Amino acid sequence: MIQFSGVSKYYDKEIIFKNISFTIEKGDLVYVTGPSGVGKTTLLKLIYCAELPDEGHINVAGWDLKKLRQGTIPYLRRNIGVVFQDFRLLPNKTVFDNIALTLKIQDMHPKEIKENVDEVLKNIRLKHKSYLFPLQLSGGEQQRVVIARAIVSRPSVLLADEPTGNLDSDTSAAIMKLFKDINAKGATVLIATHNETLFQGSGRRTIHLRDSQIEKETIG
Amino acid sequence: MRTLVYSLQTAFKSLWHEKWINFLTILSIGTSLLILSAFVGVTLNADSVLKRWAKSFGLVVYLDNTLNRKAEDRLKDFFQQDPDVLEVKYISKDRAIRELHEILGTNASILEELEGNPLPSSFELRLRRELLKPEIVKRKAGEIKQINGVEDVQYGEKWLSSLNTLSKAMKIIAAFLGCAIFTAVIFISYNTIKIFFFARRHEIETLKLLGATRSFIRLPFLIEGLFIGIFGGIISCLALFGVQSLIVYKGADILPSIRAIIVSLPVQAYILVPLAGAFMSLIGSFIAVGKIKY
Repeated sequence: MIQFSGVSKYYDKEIIFKNISFTIEKGDLVYVTGPSGVGKTTLLKLIYCAELPDEGHINVAGWDLKKLRQGTIPYLRRNIGVVFQDFRLLPNKTVFDNIALTLKIQDMHPKEIKENVDEVLKNIRLKHKSYLFPLQLSGGEQQRVVIARAIVSRPSVLLADEPTGNLDSDTSAAIMKLFKDINAKGATVLIATHNETLFQGSGRRTIHLRDSQIEKETIG
Repeated sequence: MRTLVYSLQTAFKSLWHEKWINFLTILSIGTSLLILSAFVGVTLNADSVLKRWAKSFGLVVYLDNTLNRKAEDRLKDFFQQDPDVLEVKYISKDRAIRELHEILGTNASILEELEGNPLPSSFELRLRRELLKPEIVKRKAGEIKQINGVEDVQYGEKWLSSLNTLSKAMKIIAAFLGCAIFTAVIFISYNTIKIFFFARRHEIETLKLLGATRSFIRLPFLIEGLFIGIFGGIISCLALFGVQSLIVYKGADILPSIRAIIVSLPVQAYILVPLAGAFMSLIGSFIAVGKIKY
């Protein structure tokens, strides 16, 4: 589902990745971890084409990203749900509209949009707050809205960037349960985190990044 | 279709949300288009005056004094059959001296010193309007002068030349003003849409990351620009109608015949001006939105 082959990435003279390769199979739930600044976010950005590799090839859901034309990028992104570290919720839109935006972009019928958004709001237990604006929600609630927005179109790949950062342990556990449920429904999930408690004891594959390389792979 | 509905909703929300900056932009575009429309109106009226002047323009063909009446009639037939000539008016020697008497009035006594009638018979030829260009009239006068029995041909050469220069100058000014206002309207809408685009850059970035296509992102801005132009055009039409009505009704108090003289802009102009505003504003918006990169 996701394949990195000899990928290198540089920012000016700074090396972020040097010749890294790994494969994530369809339906896997994988953690990417490492210290701050190691390139976890950059790795996710490479997958949803917000960054391009300087060397090597990346293949996502059958798309060779190196050969992807600018005009095709939106269609790749529609197959990838992203939970952004900085949320990226639109403050002037309600919870409902923020989630519905993903489906509007995909030109879905308004009736179907309502059904899908209502369903996902029910799953994240925020249906009663659908008319509120993001700034009227707590951090955990905002995080759940971001997850809802990422999964509402039922993407084949879900990327999450520090999804439990700044959240208490109960909220973190609830959010991780959401990811496991999504993964159980067949989505490939890749979670970038520096929070060891998330992957330790999870029994899931974990990719450890350090010094521009994959340091090791473990089963948590 | 649904993308269009979304874009229309987003554009109208933005028009309302940023109402003051939009209002000022619409007002600026309206003022620019009003200046242009008003000048077109002035040019139309000036052209109408020129046309009226041109109606009275004619070539005076003086005939040889030795020509008899039969020869003069033959010449009259000749001119009447000329497709370039609209009207032929014959002025006999007697009528010419009579008219001169009337013109001189109390000074007509000087004519008594003359032996007989020195004035020749003549024709006044009115040419087709499209031929009233200095070079064409000069050539035509030259051709007529070559005809047997024609002594001389006279016309207001300088007057015709001035008339032509004035007409050309007004057209050049209209074209120049048109270009200047075209650029100004594009620049005004460019700036406004650029500000909106910049203000919504975070939203645009999010839309891109969620899989929005270029057209999905661009369309609301283009629709907004389009409506800014249309509203600007409508404002200029309303103002133009107001100014024109004021001139006609208030001007009638001073010059009662003004209603008959003044040429109003055709009804089509009231459709054309908002369309022109929309077109210019759309170009500005298109440039402002630019190339979206992923």
